[in-house]
Amino acid sequence: MCAHPNPTDRAGGLIYQREFQAGLRKLSTNDYLVLAGTFHGVHAITRSITPKLPLAPSTSPVASSPGTTAPATSGYSYPNPGVPATGLEFLETDKFHLTCFQTLTGTKFLLFTDPLTGNVDTIMNKIYELYADYVMKNPFYQLEMPVRCEAFDRHLGAWLRGRT
Amino acid sequence: MSATKASRIGEETRIDKVNAELVTLTYGTIVAQLCQDYDNDYQEVNKQLEKMGYNIGMRLIEDFLAKSGVGRCANFRETADMIAKVGFKIFLNVAPTVTNWASDNNQFSLIFEDNPLADFVELPDDGRAQDELWFSNILCGVLRGALEMVNFASPFPVQMQIEAHFVSDVLRGDDTTEMRVSLVRYIEDEMPPEEE
Amino acid sequence: MAAPPRHVSMLSISNSNTGAPQSASSDKPQTPQPSPSPQPTSGLRVPSNRKTIYDRHLNRSRNAELSRASFAYLFAEMVTYAQRRVTGIQDLEKRLNEQGYPLGLRLLDLLFYRSTSTSSSALSSSSTSSSPPNRPLRILPLLHLIHGPLWRLLFQRSADALEHSVSPDTPNEYMITDNDPLVNTYISVPREMNMLNCAAFIAGIIEGVCDGCGFEAKVSAHNQPTEMWPSRTVFLLRFGDSVMEREKVLERNGVK
Repeated sequence: MCAHPNPTDRAGGLIYQREFQAGLRKLSTNDYLVLAGTFHGVHAITRSITPKLPLAPSTSPVASSPGTTAPATSGYSYPNPGVPATGLEFLETDKFHLTCFQTLTGTKFLLFTDPLTGNVDTIMNKIYELYADYVMKNPFYQLEMPVRCEAFDRHLGAWLRGRT
Repeated sequence: MSATKASRIGEETRIDKVNAELVTLTYGTIVAQLCQDYDNDYQEVNKQLEKMGYNIGMRLIEDFLAKSGVGRCANFRETADMIAKVGFKIFLNVAPTVTNWASDNNQFSLIFEDNPLADFVELPDDGRAQDELWFSNILCGVLRGALEMVNFASPFPVQMQIEAHFVSDVLRGDDTTEMRVSLVRYIEDEMPPEEE
Repeated sequence: MAAPPRHVSMLSISNSNTGAPQSASSDKPQTPQPSPSPQPTSGLRVPSNRKTIYDRHLNRSRNAELSRASFAYLFAEMVTYAQRRVTGIQDLEKRLNEQGYPLGLRLLDLLFYRSTSTSSSALSSSSTSSSPPNRPLRILPLLHLIHGPLWRLLFQRSADALEHSVSPDTPNEYMITDNDPLVNTYISVPREMNMLNCAAFIAGIIEGVCDGCGFEAKVSAHNQPTEMWPSRTVFLLRFGDSVMEREKVLERNGVK
């Protein structure tokens, strides 16, 4: 398995990068930064180009009922108004898959896997849990800064090793 | 999401535990330290506690989302249930009552039957603490920090700015412990400028 | 610093685990006129439903549990806050130690209270006989109290090792080892601070317990990682000269 869980911060800056397959040809740090920044942009574009339907007049009472009001109200809405547009979540080539998991706080985790790797969702959830534990509960970690947490590396590595 | 579904998530989320007294005493020692550092200027202590809570909230939200697996709330009422029945249940093992909604649905109260942070606590008998100190003020900051981090309501991803403060506390001799939570505004998520 | 008996300078705020002597006054019928006699009446207001600490049983939270995450956040904030007000690692550890100290004093009371009220011999481990006073008089019973009951109260398990210094120069030094201290679970100390051990907080708790028992001691936390236990921590207890002298006298008199 080849996996790079890359949490990027809200502005698209790369805060963590790691390879779990020994011996892969290395990308440079700069490559990773460019990749993260580019993906962030593409992600935002895919979200903004999500097609919208004209808002049928009959649905407006629902939207304007008290307590359910969201700020902007335009004449258009997403096909399923209850669910916001997500942006690019999955990218596939012959040789690898890229999965993006964006948390509700806006942090993105990018995972590059071999096309044969299954259960990517499980891996993502576990990475998020470990991140919540060993990064966010570490008083020496400053939000939005590069992640240098030895315990996070250790637990993430141990968990992934246990899976293979 | 219904309130009952929220309570179920609150009950079922798997949580690593520690001795409750360790948590209570640790919090007590934090408040005591602040009182000492700020020469019993309780207004300032309240402010510092809120700030600490804010820092915690911004981090705690990740744990909340990662472990509970809950999705977006559709509105502020759902948010209130989520806070009371999932958030407080997971992190303090209590489920305060959501009540006293303002008519515009932008303000509610949380009434705490129990408050583990204040277990075994008696405020200093100096004639001021009971009028000025909000012992559990850290919780207000936690809510503010946590909600500010979330891309919240639909259909447009927004963040939520809230304000929370205690209006009564049994430690002050009140009959209830009540926190008032107000939705200040939604902050629209900024899209990066289009690059074409 | 200027206040040698540290527990005197402690704040009266919060978490007073030690029973309820002064609450009795609120039961008395209130005399309306301002009586000049200085009564020990508490000036605190209490809820009409009497939800005060005196009306609730001290053992009610005995086996209560709370989220480990909540503790981690509070502890992390304590560390962050302390860090803002110190100049170096030693200073930071000192401050964490001072934050743990009052917990030690309070937990000691709690331990004694519970060990007597349950009549179990939880406190008196191997070394002590079933003598009624359970306050340790000698160093060894004190160490067993820390290694066993205190650790179990805080962390639901005993500490991992208890040793006496092998050096003849330092007979006053003892070591208690925890392979994986709870407080450090989620903490990664940055490389440039690698001497730091946030379990200095626990060292402070131990120091509070020792002091509360009348054993003057300095306690510090040290990183002793192994392959298997990367956050293994040794708590070094150094007892003061007065304690060591008393120890000799008690030994001669056959006190255990």
